[in-house]
Amino acid sequence: MSLILESVGFGLITAAILAISAVGFTMQFAITNVLNLSYSGVMISAAFIAYGLNVVGLNIWLCLVMAGIYGAVLSFLLNRFIFRPFQRRNAGAVGMVIVTLAVGLVLTNLTLAFGGPDNVSYTLNNGPTFTAGPFVMTAIQLAEIALAIVTMLGVHALLKFTRLGKAMRATAANLSLARASGIRTERVIAITWLITGFLCGMAGTVFAMDSGSFGASSIALFLVVIIAAAVVGGVGRPYGAMAGALIIGVVMEVSASIISADYKEAVAFVILLLVLALRPEGVLVRTSRA
Amino acid sequence: MKARKTASSIGTGVPVHGSRKRSRVLRAAGVGAAFTFSLASVAASAGASTRASSPASSGGSVVIADLSPFTGPDAALGPGYLAGCFSASYVIDSHGGINGKTIQCKVFDTRGDPADAVPAARQMFASTQNLFMVVGPTSDEASAVVPIINAQKTVVFSGTGQSEFDKSPFPYFFRLTPPDIDTAYAMIAAAHFRYHYKKVALAFGNDIGSQTFVSPAIQAIKTLHMTLASNVSLDLTATSYRSEVAKIVASHPDVILTEALGPADAIFLSEVKQLNGGKMIPVLGTSATIDPIWYTAVAAAVGAQTLQNNFAAATLGIENSGPAYRTFAAAIIAEKKNISNYTKYLTHPQTLHFYDAVTLAALAAVEAKSNVSSEYKKYIKPIANGVPGATVVTSFAEGVKLIKQGKAIRYIGPGGPTNFDKWNNSSVNFQLDKYGPGGSTVLLGSVPNSEIKAAAG
Repeated sequence: MSLILESVGFGLITAAILAISAVGFTMQFAITNVLNLSYSGVMISAAFIAYGLNVVGLNIWLCLVMAGIYGAVLSFLLNRFIFRPFQRRNAGAVGMVIVTLAVGLVLTNLTLAFGGPDNVSYTLNNGPTFTAGPFVMTAIQLAEIALAIVTMLGVHALLKFTRLGKAMRATAANLSLARASGIRTERVIAITWLITGFLCGMAGTVFAMDSGSFGASSIALFLVVIIAAAVVGGVGRPYGAMAGALIIGVVMEVSASIISADYKEAVAFVILLLVLALRPEGVLVRTSRA
Repeated sequence: MKARKTASSIGTGVPVHGSRKRSRVLRAAGVGAAFTFSLASVAASAGASTRASSPASSGGSVVIADLSPFTGPDAALGPGYLAGCFSASYVIDSHGGINGKTIQCKVFDTRGDPADAVPAARQMFASTQNLFMVVGPTSDEASAVVPIINAQKTVVFSGTGQSEFDKSPFPYFFRLTPPDIDTAYAMIAAAHFRYHYKKVALAFGNDIGSQTFVSPAIQAIKTLHMTLASNVSLDLTATSYRSEVAKIVASHPDVILTEALGPADAIFLSEVKQLNGGKMIPVLGTSATIDPIWYTAVAAAVGAQTLQNNFAAATLGIENSGPAYRTFAAAIIAEKKNISNYTKYLTHPQTLHFYDAVTLAALAAVEAKSNVSSEYKKYIKPIANGVPGATVVTSFAEGVKLIKQGKAIRYIGPGGPTNFDKWNNSSVNFQLDKYGPGGSTVLLGSVPNSEIKAAAG
């Protein structure tokens, strides 16, 4: 029993990383209408940018910020020069998926080419280990959870209390109407790429910090787990992504202690399939009666 | 009426600022760059030529293909075999080459996956007219590619320890590394007889090459009346093993036996240290864990001192002194521009054994006066095992000199004596290594064959 409770604690750590990743991913889709499968490529390349800075002596938390800035700039440029032009030529949803997939492969292979095939680790101090009942966490893991909470609160504040957030919600709800209402949707979309790109870069660095050792191919399957978290919460819904991350993260880790760790990712996909079958709009969305 | 939000609606009515032509050019440039980078990355993963022919000999070159993982979780393995090829080819080319031909070491990346290995093997044969031999297939891909190589009547020296090759039906297949079953016995024997551990946890990667250790290890634990504390399989694609580690820590083992390549062991062992209150549980690894790439990843994750104090590996016995070793070491140093982290390969067991493999094949080709596998293959075993009256040689140069005098030779290289059985498998001795400062390898002692036999039951 204590093993199961301990794994709930592990699930919270996984959920924290997933939350930062999934919220950025789902916001991108909601506002820009791009199902961005290059998301993991940006994440891992950001992780290596952070590693490069860490190797020359920069503190890991500053590296995290720099990786976020890198993610923001890269995502903005990818949209400006690749995604947007394809959208303007009416590439279609499937076409855009293929484009983003291709970009993701290029990014991952470039990361492999420049970063090398070896696995690397950040120089960071995990800090003391804290034990509270069955829960065991290091200081760094607690910091990751805190960062995820702060990020979620920041996203909530942005969407709820700022004009930009209102404009983002309006653009996500109905692009044409938002434009007709005077919202500069192109600008909103560009800023969305910057903000979600920052989240993406940060998420990649947190992912790598948590891994302990990572390489260019480390993130291969993680994108599917991110998508699972986003879908479980309701595609295009940031609050849903937060809930989805929590559900997926905890269930994955608890299943590893009950069944076998080999089936961790399979459990995430089973949850995804169940949600798609039973509640395709997501767990947080209230369905209205016809 | 609620407007449908479609992908096409985003572009509708949006003014295009600036020149349409400039946008088209930019777009074309972006797509072209992406395509070019994609091609480059695909090319990088396919056959990559390395080490241009030395001008020491005339008459063209032959190719030795390293068909093993250079990317993916087992990316640490390929460079070790390649270092063996480079060092052997340096020595051989410096003494006239193989029947006048210099050696080109060429990489064919299998990515550690049979699905990628088969196309890589087919590409190897399609693109290489002068293929002399193949080195490397590991346990990840050997089952898939060895039949292909054998069908092409090409000599292959493989690094696989899979038991299906213990009685190999492939006459062109040679193995200088021990079966994984023997490695597992050696690990348990070391745990029991040397360290007197009682409770053993097993944590092996879920790839083919690592899982072959599990069954014989469990059998040996029972035979020696030890206790299996826990047995977890590590998914090489996972980014965290906290639940697996919690199970292991809760079972209070005296030692953890492991082989999980890529970032897996680094992540796993760092989480063991975290969840065990900052203390490392002693670890015993396989020969694949005596590797500079493995060391770099794990030392960075758990700390070099922690690794030095808590880790040992049951690995292939090698000679790290004597004339054979000195020739090998000088060759590695001479080839340092081609071998990244070259100092770490000076005592790398797989590098030494593949150096011997190339040297054996080269001597066999000189004996046969032919670089064609089907013609020189039959000389490999007599040169390796020796025949009555054979003179022992420790280098290619010595061997060629005596062959040209019509004398029988037995080659014993830095990997130690070879004893091929009728299935072209050679038995080896085992030794225990640990890591010293800077990732150097320190010999702790041998694992006596009597203890391995006791573990085997």
